[in-house]
Amino acid sequence: MNRRVVITGLGPVSSIGIGAREFSAALRAGRSGISPIASFDAAGFPHYMAGEVPAFDPKSILQRISPDAWGRTSQFAASAARLAVEDSGIDPTELSAARAGSSIGTTGGESQVLERLTGDSLTVGFAGVDRELARQVPASRLAVAVNRELGLTGEAITLSTACSASNYALGYAYDQIHTGDLDYMIAGGADSVGRWSHAGFYRLGALAEKACAPFDRDRSGIITGEGGAALFLESLESATARGARVYAEVLGYGLNCDANHMVAPDPVSIAQCMRLAHRNAGIKADEVDYICAHGTGTPANDAVEAKAAVEVFGERPPPISSIKSMLGHTMGAASGFSAIASVLGIAESFIPPTINFRNPDPQIPDIDPVPNVAREMTVNIAQVNGFAFGGNNAITIFGRYS
Amino acid sequence: MTQAVTQREEHFEELREIAAEVLEIEPEEITDTSLFAEDHEADSLRAIEILARIEKKYKVDIPQSELPKMVNLTAVYEIVKQHANWQD
Repeated sequence: MNRRVVITGLGPVSSIGIGAREFSAALRAGRSGISPIASFDAAGFPHYMAGEVPAFDPKSILQRISPDAWGRTSQFAASAARLAVEDSGIDPTELSAARAGSSIGTTGGESQVLERLTGDSLTVGFAGVDRELARQVPASRLAVAVNRELGLTGEAITLSTACSASNYALGYAYDQIHTGDLDYMIAGGADSVGRWSHAGFYRLGALAEKACAPFDRDRSGIITGEGGAALFLESLESATARGARVYAEVLGYGLNCDANHMVAPDPVSIAQCMRLAHRNAGIKADEVDYICAHGTGTPANDAVEAKAAVEVFGERPPPISSIKSMLGHTMGAASGFSAIASVLGIAESFIPPTINFRNPDPQIPDIDPVPNVAREMTVNIAQVNGFAFGGNNAITIFGRYS
Repeated sequence: MTQAVTQREEHFEELREIAAEVLEIEPEEITDTSLFAEDHEADSLRAIEILARIEKKYKVDIPQSELPKMVNLTAVYEIVKQHANWQD
């Protein structure tokens, strides 16, 4: 079976908006979701900003699972999935009776739960830790939460390929439907802001003080972020048969892993990954209208990403913007949010901006980062970049369905 | 004078101990001038770990910009000495 795969539902739970409509409006407005950290005591940290989602109220979204029994990251995943299904317009009863599953990407899994348990074990010892809390630890529960919330009986797989994990999850979901193994998939990612990642990235020298400014000359790093991103995938026949609105088609994806260096990205393997993605999607580089960048805002990532883009696309690559400028780095959810943004861009003919942009970087003169203001334009094909530590590169390609 | 030399040696030994622990080698393998990266296979993450442990032990803030200079034990000692105001 070689079925075409389309996206018919979007479920962003983000710092700039919850639900497809809010998220799209925020992208167009170039809204920042960065605020002073509230989820843990950031006193003592020289940097104290993050992209938290204070408006997230799982009780108002979740219908089946109880938030009390699940960690914050699972709540993000399940809530995003619920929103994506609502957005798709499919009958939830019909969905739970169908061959349907989920693939969810993550970096830190239930990082907040782990932190609480670690704190408790240090103060009261292992004997005193909350057993119910310990039950919430496994990262595999992210996809399980999705399936439980929606009553899905197909596969529930959590992929922990760090900052490109959502693209892995999307690729996996695409394969399931393309080959006919399953008929519906929820794909995306989730992560939570936590002390460990904030401290870790600060210590790595990769954390910006106030704002993330990708592709800017003076960019100084990431801001940690959180949220849940989910996309609802089905075959084109099924979408057509039920008269669903089709946001975009999944054309294909490319993955590679160079394992070259733990943290330094490699332009050669990133360029290879782009070519791989183009080939698998059956497109040529010059057909890409927009690149939703990995764009972390670290000096190294953006320089390498720009270099790889020039290598593949020539001197004038298509516009390449980073929504991490608005959301911060949502880790395992990052490429999921980028996919949602790109799919919205295809459906609504706009590309999101890179906010916080002040000065072009003379080292990467060929890059058009869509500075500060969203752009109205037709997007027929969008490329979503996701790169992770260890050289885990994953790129997805989406196209207009007509 | 004797006092000062002792203090200096003590600091050197403490720093050697820290570096050896992070680099997972014996302290004796690290000479005052052997290079962390070239001779002991350190990468940037190990270097950050050495910096972090030093900051913790001596309760001192060392700017990350000093990191590239911290190539061997003598360089580390000079940088810590400066930021911790050691009078060795």
